[in-house]
Amino acid sequence: MAEPVVVGENVWKTYGAGDTEVNALRGISVVIARGEMVAVMGPSGSGKTTFLNCFSGLDSVSQGRVLIGGVDIHAMPDAKRSEFRAQRTGFVFQAYNLLPVLSAVENVEMPLLISGVRAREARERASEMLRQLGLGDRLDHRPSELSGGQQQRVSLARALVTKPAIVWADEPTGNLDEEGSHQVIALLQQLNQSFGQTMVVVTHDAEVAAGCHRTLRMRDGQFLS
Amino acid sequence: MADATVTAGLALLAIVGVVALAFAVSHRLAFRIALRNVRRGRGRTVLLILGLLVGTTIISGSLIVGSTVQALDVHYTYLGSGYVHESVSATAPSGGFAPFAYSVYTDVAAAATGQSLIAGVTPMVITTTQVYDRSTGIPETNLNLIASNPNQSANLGTFHSLSGDALPGPTTGQVYVDEQTALALNATVGDALVVYGPHPVELTLTAIVQDDLRGAFITAGLSPGNVFLDLPTAQSLENLSGQINYIAVTNVGGQSGGIAHSSTVSAFLNATLASVPAAAGLSVQEPMKNNIAAAEQSGMSVQTIFLVLGLFSIVAGAMLIVGIFIMLAEERKGEMGMLRAVGMRRRELVFVYYFEGFVYAVGSALAGTLLGVAVGYLLTYTFSLLFASGALTSTAILQSFTVTTDDLVISYVAGFVLTLVTVAVASSRVSRLNIVQAIRDLPSPPPPRRWYTILGILGVVLVLVGLALLVPNAQGTSDISIPMLGGGLTILGLGLVASRFVRNRLAFSAVGAGLLLWAGVEPLHRLVLGSAHSGGIFIVFVEGILMVTGALLLYVFNSDLLIRGLLRLAGQGGPGAPRARIGLSYPARRPGRTAINLTIFALVTFTMVAIACFGATLQANLNNTIATESGGYTFFGFSTQPIPQLPQVVANNSTLAAQFSVTVPVVSGAVEVDVPGSAPNPYLDALYSAPTNQSASASFYATSQFGFSSTWQGMSSAAVYDELATNASVAIVDQTYAPVTSSVSSGPTAPHPTLTVGQSIYLRPPGSSTNLSVRVIGVMSQSAITGVWVNPQAASTLGYRSQDAFLLTVRPGASATLAAQDAKRAFFPEGLVLFNIVQILQTSIASTEGVIGLLEIFVGLGLGVGIAAMGILALRAVVERRREIGMLRSMGFTQRDVLTTFVLEYSFTTLLGLAIGTVLGIWIVYDLSISPSAAASGVSFFALPVANIALILVAAYALAMLAIAVPSIRASRIPPADAVRATE
Repeated sequence: MAEPVVVGENVWKTYGAGDTEVNALRGISVVIARGEMVAVMGPSGSGKTTFLNCFSGLDSVSQGRVLIGGVDIHAMPDAKRSEFRAQRTGFVFQAYNLLPVLSAVENVEMPLLISGVRAREARERASEMLRQLGLGDRLDHRPSELSGGQQQRVSLARALVTKPAIVWADEPTGNLDEEGSHQVIALLQQLNQSFGQTMVVVTHDAEVAAGCHRTLRMRDGQFLS
Repeated sequence: MADATVTAGLALLAIVGVVALAFAVSHRLAFRIALRNVRRGRGRTVLLILGLLVGTTIISGSLIVGSTVQALDVHYTYLGSGYVHESVSATAPSGGFAPFAYSVYTDVAAAATGQSLIAGVTPMVITTTQVYDRSTGIPETNLNLIASNPNQSANLGTFHSLSGDALPGPTTGQVYVDEQTALALNATVGDALVVYGPHPVELTLTAIVQDDLRGAFITAGLSPGNVFLDLPTAQSLENLSGQINYIAVTNVGGQSGGIAHSSTVSAFLNATLASVPAAAGLSVQEPMKNNIAAAEQSGMSVQTIFLVLGLFSIVAGAMLIVGIFIMLAEERKGEMGMLRAVGMRRRELVFVYYFEGFVYAVGSALAGTLLGVAVGYLLTYTFSLLFASGALTSTAILQSFTVTTDDLVISYVAGFVLTLVTVAVASSRVSRLNIVQAIRDLPSPPPPRRWYTILGILGVVLVLVGLALLVPNAQGTSDISIPMLGGGLTILGLGLVASRFVRNRLAFSAVGAGLLLWAGVEPLHRLVLGSAHSGGIFIVFVEGILMVTGALLLYVFNSDLLIRGLLRLAGQGGPGAPRARIGLSYPARRPGRTAINLTIFALVTFTMVAIACFGATLQANLNNTIATESGGYTFFGFSTQPIPQLPQVVANNSTLAAQFSVTVPVVSGAVEVDVPGSAPNPYLDALYSAPTNQSASASFYATSQFGFSSTWQGMSSAAVYDELATNASVAIVDQTYAPVTSSVSSGPTAPHPTLTVGQSIYLRPPGSSTNLSVRVIGVMSQSAITGVWVNPQAASTLGYRSQDAFLLTVRPGASATLAAQDAKRAFFPEGLVLFNIVQILQTSIASTEGVIGLLEIFVGLGLGVGIAAMGILALRAVVERRREIGMLRSMGFTQRDVLTTFVLEYSFTTLLGLAIGTVLGIWIVYDLSISPSAAASGVSFFALPVANIALILVAAYALAMLAIAVPSIRASRIPPADAVRATE
């Protein structure tokens, strides 16, 4: 097996307390290797998004450790974890979550600027990334002027532009039609192959899962296999 | 009048209520949804009401301050008027009352017995005197001597001792003094007082009387104090055997009730006097009626000043209401779209907002009115701290705090209607939405061409209205705010028409620049409108609104250029770049919302900075004026008896010589001035002449530093004084003779002849046929000592040779107060009265500072609008941008980054608003300070109160940041995992 990038050890995530206590993750342990493209599937409420949030460092864990590149991300203070996210991870969400007041290229260059890249270089890299994703003629369009598929491609460009070690995608095709879904899946696969980036894709879509190297199935906060 | 306004207001309120009820019945669903919206967020409802109440608070506060000032003025006017509704007297050339035969009183009293409206007629002697208290050794000059017989003056009220006992009034050998005089003399009952006049008399102080309706007559208990004698003693003292100089007439109906009869009684008295030969030259005055009217006018003037300056905050409050409703609409865009999708008509949607706004208006108008009462009290309290002195005690000021039913009703109705109208307009605007765009939360497309056609038509209407106001009033004497407003509307209308044909940026940038030039460049108004217009404080509002509108249009239609420039500066990479990018992008991409905030801050800052600059300019000019007006002298004085050798006496008195460096004697008298071609003609004025045979320190010509605003043939000041000293056919006059060049006057003033240097005028003593022609060779800059100055020979020709006026300068380091006391003591028998010119001006400066401070506090309330706007917008932004914040956090933004982004965004808006307001505030006052009207008022330069403005800006910025602190911190603490999936 290739070098492990994400290692989860007995990860628990509990919401609420007492009568309202819910264990969203129940002692999950998982290892994801560098360059691997992993799908996480499961019914609604099985804990897929919680898994993504906790393993990507967006949310804290109640118990256990998550190591990314050998570093326990939950042992870091918030500011350090933010810096870690900026440098090592990219995110794609179902709702795109583009900043509406920024143009496509400005959205994509934002993670670069956060990482401290000079404005001119950031603009060049962001434009190039969008061109690679077929949006070269949409650089200055604002999100409201783009279709759902185009927005998701901008979102992908934003996630990949910093060349992160790992990309976390939460239902990336959830808001797209069939054609849009195909485009996004093909793009993810192409980018995974081209850049060798690790990808963790939370999805309901069996077709998306079929395009991944491995599928992890969840139920009641645990992996089934 | 006020009752009619209240009735109209209540009627309007009733109509609005009935109409709202009818709407509620016919649009029940909309009404139910509106009530549910009000109930669904109590915290937000409270916040909305707080935001909406500011306009009402300003109205309520202004009215209450006006009522309080009016009550205070009326209180002291009644106090000073006593029970004298009408008076019969003649003015002496020296300025006091001229004596006339006692028989006039007998005739008037006889006639009055048949007049049912007259309660009584009292013969009196009223003059000024000086008193020496033998027991305490303290002299006091410039006191009012008021004499009447106890058996003839019952209608004037009763004297009361300090313990409250009723007193009959002084009889032969007795003297009463009021509290002010007793304080000045340190006198106690039983003291021997020497009362001075042509025949001084020593009397026993029998009573110190309260400054009530009898004891405070004329002065209202303020300085100078009163000395009361019986009539025969006063006649003997003043050498007025068989004469009096004043007849007081009291009407039936009590003090205030008697005013209603003044016109009838005056007509009766005039008719009576016409049949009395000895009454020739006497006239009937209505002092109480006139003074009460003046007091009421003064209250209304104060009310107007506060209201006009408050208008900026009221407009800012209206902008806040619009902003709040636009935000509410954005927040509910989805549900509004759904309501429309399931069949609700747009009209119903308007009613949803209308009913919701109605509830807020009811609550906010009530809360605003009550808060206005608190604001009014706060201002009254501040006023009492700043202005209480002598009999004008802080207690008296606080007791005058008045809240009338009229004030409350008018405030409530005005505030309610203002809020409701704004709500109705905003409701109509926000309910115009595309269903699909609303449901999918898509941005609105650019307006269709038809919209610009409508704007073009509106523009034509504005141009027509503007020209109707501008053209007929351009060159004339109308209120300057009318053509100024006309010009502004014309420019705006042209811009709207142009927007149909050219790009918005071009059309509205041109309008912005045009409004700034039109309202802000004084030489341009002078060129187009001339300098003969009248006007008042309303012009400040008109110019201010036009300038702020101009600046905001320039910003809104060019904000992208500004922000692009800023982003280029701040967005070149580095740790601050992403924060700057996000922080500045929101104002750039949402110019409408930003403009509302900017308008609010710009308007409030504009008012505060303008008032601060106005105060500073006035104070600086007053400081400068001290030198101009005082001519380098400390005191101007006069004596009731001539003091022929004052300089020599001072020189020979070691105490006085050590204190005075300059002692200039002046001959004074009254003179009728005939300025050919100018009215009134003749004009009664003072004549002054300084002797030439004096030592350097006693020579007016050697010591005067009075400057000239114009001289004949450009003569130097020294040449003018040399000519005056040697040429009996020349004269110089004070500044009041200068032609009026004011385009903005502070109100009606008594008519005064005007002249230009080189013009010949004619002088003659009142009632004399001696006529002297003199050429005016200089118009002095000062107007503190008004009159005509001539050569001693010319004065002698007119019959004036007695030196009874003086200009004195205190040596450096010497106390002016002590010097004045010593001089008055030394020349007490001659009745020397000294006026400290510098102190009078400094008191005026202190009063100005106080008034400016009060106005600053008042308009500073408008900051509440800005703070509320900031807080509400920031709270909304946190909800609206939750997912975006989450995304930023997932990309690596720290909590501090999010916080910084919010602070940057709101700092940009706040600082830009403060900058616009500050620049325009400074600009308008600078503009006014270089106008002819300012020059005519003695303002010759502009002063910038840097520290004061810095304080305003720091306070405004700090408060704005305080307002956004909680929402910003809340935003920064949103857990990113929740935020990225959040829906509102």
